[in-house]
This record gives sequence, structure tokens and C-alpha cells, in this order.
Amino acid sequence: MKFRTIRYFFKEAFANLLRNGWMSLASVGAVASALIIFGSFLMISINFDHVAKDVESQVEITAYLKDSVNQLEINQIEYQIKSITGVKEVTFISKEQALEEFKKQVGEELLEGIENPLPHSFRIKVESPQEVADVAYRIQGIAGVEEVKYGKGVVEKLFNITYWMRLLGLAIMAIFAVISVFIISNTIRITVFARRREINIMKYIGATDWFVRWPFLIEGMLLGFAGSLIAMTFLIIGYNYLYDTVKLNIPMISLLPIEEFYDYSLGLLAMGTFLGAFGSGFSIKRFLRV
Amino acid sequence: MLHMIEMVGVSKVYPGGCVALQDINVKIEKGEFVFLVGPTGAGKSTFIKLLFREELPTRGQIFFNGKNITRLRPNEVPYLRRRLGVVFQDFRLLPQKTVYENVAFAMEVVEASPRDIKKRVPRVIEMVGLSHKLNARPHELSGGEQQRVALARALVNNPDVIIADEPTGNLDPDTSWEIMKLLNEINKKGTTLIVATHAKELVDTMRKRVLQLENGRLVRDEERGVYRCEI
Ligand SMILES: Nc1ncnc2c1ncn2[C@@H]1O[C@H](COP(=O)(O)OP(=O)(O)OP(=O)(O)O)[C@@H](O)[C@H]1O
Ligand SMILES: [Mg+2]
Repeated sequence: MKFRTIRYFFKEAFANLLRNGWMSLASVGAVASALIIFGSFLMISINFDHVAKDVESQVEITAYLKDSVNQLEINQIEYQIKSITGVKEVTFISKEQALEEFKKQVGEELLEGIENPLPHSFRIKVESPQEVADVAYRIQGIAGVEEVKYGKGVVEKLFNITYWMRLLGLAIMAIFAVISVFIISNTIRITVFARRREINIMKYIGATDWFVRWPFLIEGMLLGFAGSLIAMTFLIIGYNYLYDTVKLNIPMISLLPIEEFYDYSLGLLAMGTFLGAFGSGFSIKRFLRV
Repeated sequence: MLHMIEMVGVSKVYPGGCVALQDINVKIEKGEFVFLVGPTGAGKSTFIKLLFREELPTRGQIFFNGKNITRLRPNEVPYLRRRLGVVFQDFRLLPQKTVYENVAFAMEVVEASPRDIKKRVPRVIEMVGLSHKLNARPHELSGGEQQRVALARALVNNPDVIIADEPTGNLDPDTSWEIMKLLNEINKKGTTLIVATHAKELVDTMRKRVLQLENGRLVRDEERGVYRCEI
């Protein structure tokens, strides 16, 4: 393909955008609104996920050791815990450290002069929250471990909730992705349909399919890009507002910082552009067959 | 011997059952000037549509320079069409483009250089006598003017064959003559010409080969023939 042909494709694409001014605007609007809806659900969904992860990562196992253990045995226990698959991080909390922490929580004065009643312990983080119960059970079996705690029951319930929340988020997103594709390709199909004769004529005088297709693809890409740019602007402004509002009014929920959303919006931009190209490529297919 | 165009046992039945062509056998050599005559509905346009693959024959084979064009793959069809300059009965101009752009488009399609396009397009438009309408769009032109734009577009790439479906159908006698003379000159330079027409006087005066169709059958094939509808 020659360079001048590529230049011709772009010239043609822009000329068509201007010629079909209103239709172009409608297409941009359709892309923008579809992506705003899709993006909103995406934002909700990734925040669901974020909150869920946040809660999940707070789940950890505490293993209290018997009073009788000595330093050597502590080392051995640590080694054994670490060798359980699924264990990510093991922190040793000595009697003394535990007391310090406890003092901070309840106040120094109250515990003045009392002998330290707290045992040595390990805090264990696991690779995936779903493994908590299993890992806890294994730790329980290690000699020298007195007791293991991990919020049994609560954890299982939590996982259940976050699991369904994620599934719901995914389902809603998938539905809106399909709806977006439908709206976009339908709108573009109208502009293509209005020019079906033109496409036929090009073919009759010897244009190849790709020669006819490229300006339409570029046009679709530009429409998609413009539409998703508008959607992105809306979403980012909206998200910023939401973020500030939530932070001010519901401080215990920490939404994903806006910076994290930039990556997703770049994804939306790519998606809109692709959808535009795909929509017009798909729509002209029928009219090329002459 | 290799014929430029050869039809062997070609029939065309349109969906719906209309038999537009029946068992056509014809050979056209390079450099010939052929008139295609016959009453309305005889199958002239269908004959032409088969040549540039707008339609496929229901039966029979069509060869162009020895190549069977009924067996072309879809991606080969554009290259066949580029070797034919077609003046369509319904013109088929791009409504959004000016006269100049319509003609230039045929060159853009074959990726001609902008320099060649700038040089060639005005010349061809001048040949058909439309230099004063360069920037008009099709809807601003009369039927005859549109027809001449279609002719210019068919000429612009110097095709091997020019196929014209009633190129003078909307023209007054004088302009018709001008166009026929132009086609004759192009033919003299070696381009093969196939012209479907109802213009009795032109056919009678020019004395070229005449193919007469009647109800989809080829009823006459005569060198230096005349129009003459009755057999
Ligand atoms: N696309 C089509 N579908 C069905 N029938 C068709 C189609 N095109 C043409 N026909 C029929 O085929 C027959 C031949 O038509 P064609 O257009 O070839 O005639 P023609 O000789 O060019 O006539 P005219 O001089 O009026 O242009 C006619 O009876 C017409 O009704
Ligand atoms: Mg006809």
C-alpha cells in the first residue's frame, strides 16, 4: 500500500465525518453514552473488588504458643509454619511485644506491676484468603502450638459475600459491554447504510474491498475515539466527585484512588476506538459483496 | 487463438424466473467496435453486467483474455473491473463528489500518482466537453451531463475495453454524434468498444459490427451492420 493511499484514506475519512455531520455526532453520542454506562459499572465493580480485597487481606491467623516453649522450639515452629504451602508471611510476636501492643490499646497505667500473662505468638498471612481455614488447621497440628485463631465463620461468610459481589459485577459489566457493542455498531450501520450505494459504486469501478473499507474503519475509529474521550472525561470528573464525597461522609470505606482508574479509562479509550472500527467494519461487510 | 472476450453457452435467469439471456455464443476480438442492439428488455444490460461481474451467468462460461471470469475469486474481481471502463446505464456517479472528484476517484482506486491524476483528469473531462462543470455535483447536472461524466470516468484509466450501456441515451443528436466520434477515436487507438444503444441512425451511419438481441437470444451478428429491429 502506498503512502499516498494512506493519506487518501485519512482525507476520505475526515471528509465523510464532516459530510455526515449529524450522523457523526449521533455516533459519537452513542459511543459516549454507552461507555459512560459501561464505565460506571466498571467503576462500581472495581471498587467492590477493592473493598473486598481490603477486607480479605485483613484476615490473618494468630497462633499462640505454649508457655513452655524455648527459643529453639520457637525457631522450629516458625520453620514448620513457613513450610506450609499457602503461607505468605510469618511474623513472630514475643510476649514482650504483645504486652507493649496491649498496653498501647488499654493504657499503660492499668497494667503497672502485673506479670506478663501473654504468650508468644505468630501472625501468619496467607497467599489467598480462601486458604485461611486450611492453613489454620495445619498450624494447629504443630507441636508447641497452644491455640489458633482466625475469625472462623466470619471469614467464610465474608468470602461468600465478596464472591457473589464479584460475580454480579462481572455479569453486569458483560451485559453492558454487549449493549455498548450493539448501540455503537447499530449507529454506525445507519451511516454506512446511507452510503451503501457509494460503496457499491466504488466496487463496480474496481476498488478492492480494503480500499473501500479503510476510510470507514478510520472513520469508525475516530468516532469511537471521540466518543470514549467524552465518556472518559465524564467518568473521571464524576469519579473524583464521588471519591471526595465518600471520603468526607463515609470515612471507613476507602475507594480506589483516582490514579488507579486512569489505567482503566485508557482501556475504555482503546475499547471505544476498537468498537468504532469493529462496528463500521462489520456494517459495511454486506455492501462489499458485489 | 486467444479472444479478448468469449461467451460460451451463456444463459442468465434472474431470481424470480425472468430469462434475460439464453444460450449466447459470441467472440469479440481486440480492437473491435461492437454495437449491441435490440428492443427494451432484450438483455443488453444483462449482457454487459455479465462482462464486469455485476452478475454471474446461470449457465455457460465467459472468458476475458482467455481467463474464465465466472470462476474468479472475489478478491480477483476488482482487477478484472480495472481493465474494463464501464459507462453504466444509470451512470452510478458518487453523489457527494464533484465532477472532477468522480473522475479522479477512478484513478485513486488504482493508486495512480497525484501528479498523473492532476494531469489526466482535466484532459479527459475536456474530451467529453464538461470543463465548465468541474466543480458541480451530479445532482446539479442534466442527465446528458451526468452521462458524460460517467464516460470520462470510464476513459480515464485507459482500459483495454470500454463497455458503454446507452452512452447517448440522454443526449441530443448533436452531442450524441460528438460522443460517438469520441468513442470511435478511442477505438482507433486500439481500445475495444462494446456499446449498447437504441440510436438507430448512429448505428446505421457508423457501420460497425452489430449484435442484435431479442428476448434474450442473439438473433444477428453482422459485420458492418445496421440497426434494423425486424428480422
Ligand atoms: N435484477 C433483475 N432481476 C430480475 N429481472 C431482471 C433484473 N434485471 C433485468 N431483469 C429482466 O431481464 C430482462 C432483460 O433486462 P435488461 O436490463 O438486460 O434489458 P435491456 O436490453 O438492457 O433493456 P433496455 O434497453 O430497456 O435497457 C428484462 O425482462 C428485465 O425485466
Ligand atoms: Mg439496459
